[in-house]
Amino acid sequence: MTVVATDTHTRPLADLRSGDEARFGGKSASLGELIAAEIPVPPGFAVSTSAFHAFLDEAGLRARVDAALAGLDLADVDAVQAASRAVAGAMRAVTLPEDVRGAIGAHYAALAAEVGEDEPAVAVRSSAVGEDSAEATFAGQQETYLWVRGVDAVCAAVRDCWASLYSAPAITYRAKIADAGVVPAMGVTVQLMVDAAVSGVMFTCSPLSGDPSIVAVNASWGLGLAVVGGEVTPDEYHVSKVTREVVRRTVNAKHLEYRPDEASRGTVCVPVEEARQAEACLGEDELRELADVGRRVERFFGGHQDIEWAIARTGTVPASLFVVQSRPVTATGRPPAAEKAPAPAASALSMIMGTFGVAGAAADEKKDRG
Amino acid sequence: MATTADAVGAFPSPFEIETPAGCEGWEEMYPHYALFKEERRESDEGRLWFWNSMHFPVPMPAFDVTSIDGPYYGLGAWQNRAFAVPPAMGIDYRVVNSYIYISVNPVTDPAKIAERAEFFQKRAGHYFQNWDELYAKWRVKMDALLKEIMELEVPDLPEYEPDEVVFGDENTSFYKVIDAYSRTLRTCELMWQHHFEFLLLGYGAYLTFSDFCKQALPDIPDQHIAQMVAGIDVLLFKPDAELRRLARLAIETGVAGAFADGRTPDQVDAELARSDEGRRWLEELEKVKDPWFNMGTGDGLYHYYRSWYDDPSIPYASIAGHIGALAEGREIERPTEELARERDRLAEGYAELLGEEQRGAFQELLGLSRTVFPYVEEHKFFCDYWFLTRWYNKLREFGALLARNGYLEDSEDIFHLSRHEAAQALEELVLHWASGGLPMGPHHWPPMVARRKELLAKLADWTPPPALGTMPEAANDPITVMLWGITPARLQEWARAQDSDGAELRGSPASPGTVEGLARVVRTVDEIGTVRDGEILVCGSTSPAWAPIFSRIAATVTDIGGVMSHTAIVAREYGLPAVVGTGRATARIRTGQRVRVDGTAGTVTVLDGDQAS
Repeated sequence: MTVVATDTHTRPLADLRSGDEARFGGKSASLGELIAAEIPVPPGFAVSTSAFHAFLDEAGLRARVDAALAGLDLADVDAVQAASRAVAGAMRAVTLPEDVRGAIGAHYAALAAEVGEDEPAVAVRSSAVGEDSAEATFAGQQETYLWVRGVDAVCAAVRDCWASLYSAPAITYRAKIADAGVVPAMGVTVQLMVDAAVSGVMFTCSPLSGDPSIVAVNASWGLGLAVVGGEVTPDEYHVSKVTREVVRRTVNAKHLEYRPDEASRGTVCVPVEEARQAEACLGEDELRELADVGRRVERFFGGHQDIEWAIARTGTVPASLFVVQSRPVTATGRPPAAEKAPAPAASALSMIMGTFGVAGAAADEKKDRG
Repeated sequence: MATTADAVGAFPSPFEIETPAGCEGWEEMYPHYALFKEERRESDEGRLWFWNSMHFPVPMPAFDVTSIDGPYYGLGAWQNRAFAVPPAMGIDYRVVNSYIYISVNPVTDPAKIAERAEFFQKRAGHYFQNWDELYAKWRVKMDALLKEIMELEVPDLPEYEPDEVVFGDENTSFYKVIDAYSRTLRTCELMWQHHFEFLLLGYGAYLTFSDFCKQALPDIPDQHIAQMVAGIDVLLFKPDAELRRLARLAIETGVAGAFADGRTPDQVDAELARSDEGRRWLEELEKVKDPWFNMGTGDGLYHYYRSWYDDPSIPYASIAGHIGALAEGREIERPTEELARERDRLAEGYAELLGEEQRGAFQELLGLSRTVFPYVEEHKFFCDYWFLTRWYNKLREFGALLARNGYLEDSEDIFHLSRHEAAQALEELVLHWASGGLPMGPHHWPPMVARRKELLAKLADWTPPPALGTMPEAANDPITVMLWGITPARLQEWARAQDSDGAELRGSPASPGTVEGLARVVRTVDEIGTVRDGEILVCGSTSPAWAPIFSRIAATVTDIGGVMSHTAIVAREYGLPAVVGTGRATARIRTGQRVRVDGTAGTVTVLDGDQAS
């Protein structure tokens, strides 16, 4: 057991709360909150920013990174690309510090024991620190590695997440907005993989009109990559939060899906057979369950959420439904339209007067006066 | 302001509509002010006129014009002169080939609108703030008027006046006939006054709530708005509820067999009268009749529509249907508790999703809408059904008086005279009764009636365009939206539709679901007997009188009406897909064609060509 190391560099997701965001990143902290709220989230653990720093301190890596970036001409695209490649190469040449590797290994083993598999498949995702979503995007903090199996592969994926901090756009972006010398930081989330029959995203309001009574679901066959990456036109469903009825249903031709791939120990994109393309990938029960979960997540965070979810190949909802990620809708840059609606008039009676043209009269008068 | 018929979005000029061959002279059935005339051409061509197929789906008999004048006196007096609704005065109507087109008179001068707004706020405010009290008073006034029309006697003309005229104070019969006729007309005008006292304000409150919901909850289905407001224990549902109770009673007391297939109400009664249980059932029926058999079989505006008293075959058929359903073990009760729960669930569910400030406005508007809604739903029973069926029956008595004296061939023929012509006929009748002279009426009226019957029959085959004239720049008159569901978007669709003969019609999605089936086009409630199980009803609009067929059809499509229309409400209760306000479904679709009704999207698609003859 590596109790001390675990406390420093890693923590089970279930133990995290919003206060841990600075050390473990927003994604891990919010998953911890969801678990506490009894939202079905696949189990997993989080890797902290301290692990990243420990990694940099290993084998003189920090100095090599600094050297690669020193005196870099940001206008020289080729130079920035070369620096990025140099950093990534340097990082991949270094193994994780023993205590970090041990902590990850212990947690992975615990997960394996929980599901009764030797090498359970996990998703390894970056977990951004800080609020700036633009920075998160540039800094590669949206990195995701799916269907990763075995402790070595997990450690490599964690390292790859860190390396994404030094992508060319990230280097450029950080140099522009941040003081030089500020060392970036990132947490990593490792979560048990759901072998999804269907997956997708949902908004707890209408993404188009902002209607708060709608849960808008986008769904497609297989793992979530196809929908998140915009590689298929997903089915679109609107479910009423009030009646739990499916009020809109647009079934599209979903021509491809991602599946786990034993051979590559990762995922593979395969074509969907003709007959299944135009088949609705979610039924009434599943949509109702999704809407309920969406509503719970929204209530819990007290605002509209953009939620990634998956429905496992085995079992039926609610047991087979999992939330793998949730973030506030405003962070996507699409504020609900309802927020733009004018504030309601003072009283019901004055609104009725408006229906009969009383308010219109006042407006016309103003218009006439110029 | 000259207009051109080929302007964008223009409808045909009312002056270009041709009279079908053989229908020349239809104009003489109607008042001079109701026709498109050269003197008003510029103004009339520059306005939008839409066919009021909701209230007047078939050619208008001359007498029934009282059912146009009366409502538009009443509506205009309250809207324009009493409440002074700021942007709109009253409604003008015109008759084209015996069909009724209407247009609202807008107020465009901003100073005038502001002036009217002052009146409106004060006066409408008074009604909204004292609604329950004022409505209670209305019920008293309406009861008195119903009593008056029911008790009004239509006198006969005797050979010799009774002794009371000579030895007492009784008036002579000529005066009594003239007086009774003018009182009959007067009660009707008063009814129309009562009819419109609350109507606009009621619809306005509802529309405001509806608009508010659509702003705060842009994707809310219209039916949810309606469900939150609509009453559960509504008076209009009582008549059928009583029939269901009678059906249960018939089964419980073992007399249901009397309603065997094909029996007339008289035969059913005769069968029931043979047993004690049957007689007890008939006693129970008598108790139900007053007042529930004053229920109408149509929308009340035409003389064709009768009450259940006049035509018991409709309630008897309903009872037989309920008995059949019960025998098959089907549930026939309206699930009132469930509807009430659903109503509360929706209201609470939506309120919870709104911010604090919006929630307050939502709840206040919902409360006000619920306060006004009983009137919106109940006035139909008292005015359109109870009063008007009794009133038309009084006129049948005057018709019988004229027929007995050879002025008409049949009592029903009075409906082919205008109310003024009927007065003239009665005046001549009492004149020659008094003088003993040779009357002209028997030569004058019967040929006129015969020609008019022929005209109406021929004009029934003509298809009126949904609108005439020019699309207004801002067709956002609250009254047309409230009462007819005619929005600017709807007008645009009608304008586009007239240029295409595509297989798809658009309307308001009134009740969700998609169904394919054979169409049955039904122009009036008299034809509902032609509807077969599983067909798709295509009609102008429906009223509560159409209730018996909703359990048999697969979907419904109407020419006119919004999501609060009767059709929409009933379709939702029965879970049938419905598309309302298509403008011209009855003209485009023929009985026997295969159609798809998408009540979620609001589209109707004709799937095959011409299969009907």
